[in-house]
Amino acid sequence: MNEKIRKHINELFKDAPKTRRAMELKEEMAVNTIEKYEDLIGEGYQEEDAFQNVINSIGDVTELFEDLKEKSLFALPEKERKKKAMLTAAAVGIYIFAGVVLIVSLVINDLFFGGAETGILGLALAVLICIPPTCMLVYAANMYPVHNRKEENLVELYKEAATSGSREKAVRQSVSVIIWLVTLLLYFAISMKTRRWEITWLVFLVGACAQMIEVLIFNLKHMGS
Amino acid sequence: MSITSDILRGHTEAIILSHLLEQDSYGYQINKDIMKKTDNRCELKEATLYSAFRRLEQAGYIRTYWGDETVGARRRYYSITEEGRLAYQAYKRDWEEAKATIDQLLK
Repeated sequence: MNEKIRKHINELFKDAPKTRRAMELKEEMAVNTIEKYEDLIGEGYQEEDAFQNVINSIGDVTELFEDLKEKSLFALPEKERKKKAMLTAAAVGIYIFAGVVLIVSLVINDLFFGGAETGILGLALAVLICIPPTCMLVYAANMYPVHNRKEENLVELYKEAATSGSREKAVRQSVSVIIWLVTLLLYFAISMKTRRWEITWLVFLVGACAQMIEVLIFNLKHMGS
Repeated sequence: MSITSDILRGHTEAIILSHLLEQDSYGYQINKDIMKKTDNRCELKEATLYSAFRRLEQAGYIRTYWGDETVGARRRYYSITEEGRLAYQAYKRDWEEAKATIDQLLK
């Protein structure tokens, strides 16, 4: 029945401008309507009566469409977009800094000390430095509104794929960036430690492998939902 | 009844602000409260409610955020801003004045 309500609301929004605001309003309306429907069922209404009741109380939505016109589909508002760009830029900067810290510590280790202490310390420091930018990237990726629903069918999935797509894409990009940076760091760390440059490039194969696993996980998640 | 609903519709924004003064809320909750307070006599059409939300938001009187419900779908909550509180107080004063005037005229 929830799907029937969503379908009805989608129908009402057929002529609405295709904007993020319209999408949010549609989601808000659907969530509230479904909650009301479930309350009515809880009060002992028949399914069909409850459905008619909630549909009737929606009223004329076309008057709302005027407000929804500006701003294009899936675009974040200007302020959020700038914030996101700044977060991403800062995160990348910190990653690079972490790499520099690691390389410098390894070089110092190589030049002045024979032992591994400075190198391991540098690696630990670099990993620690990587934590805040990772959090920042995850936060930035979650700035898209989540499309949440209990029941899904293929048509709905297809319709909403574009929205959830852009959000998921952002998460996947962050994960990819992290995988490759970690790979790069590992490559230098292992190479300088072992001095077997002729074989350590294999780390990149491991990185590629991790990337493939990531793609696989996202695809499996897609099939599962 | 038709007079009541016309007058009510004219005050949708103030009614919403008045609800948000107590606590943050979302569309259905506000409508439920309205029904409860009026013994099921009045219910706002959703379209009326949401267009009022948009106007209040544009005026800077309310802010909106998505809830973090872990179970089920996420609700869209609204909270009143400082400007919203001021606007509500001014509105309340005007309304008391208008009410008194109409009462005088309809004796």
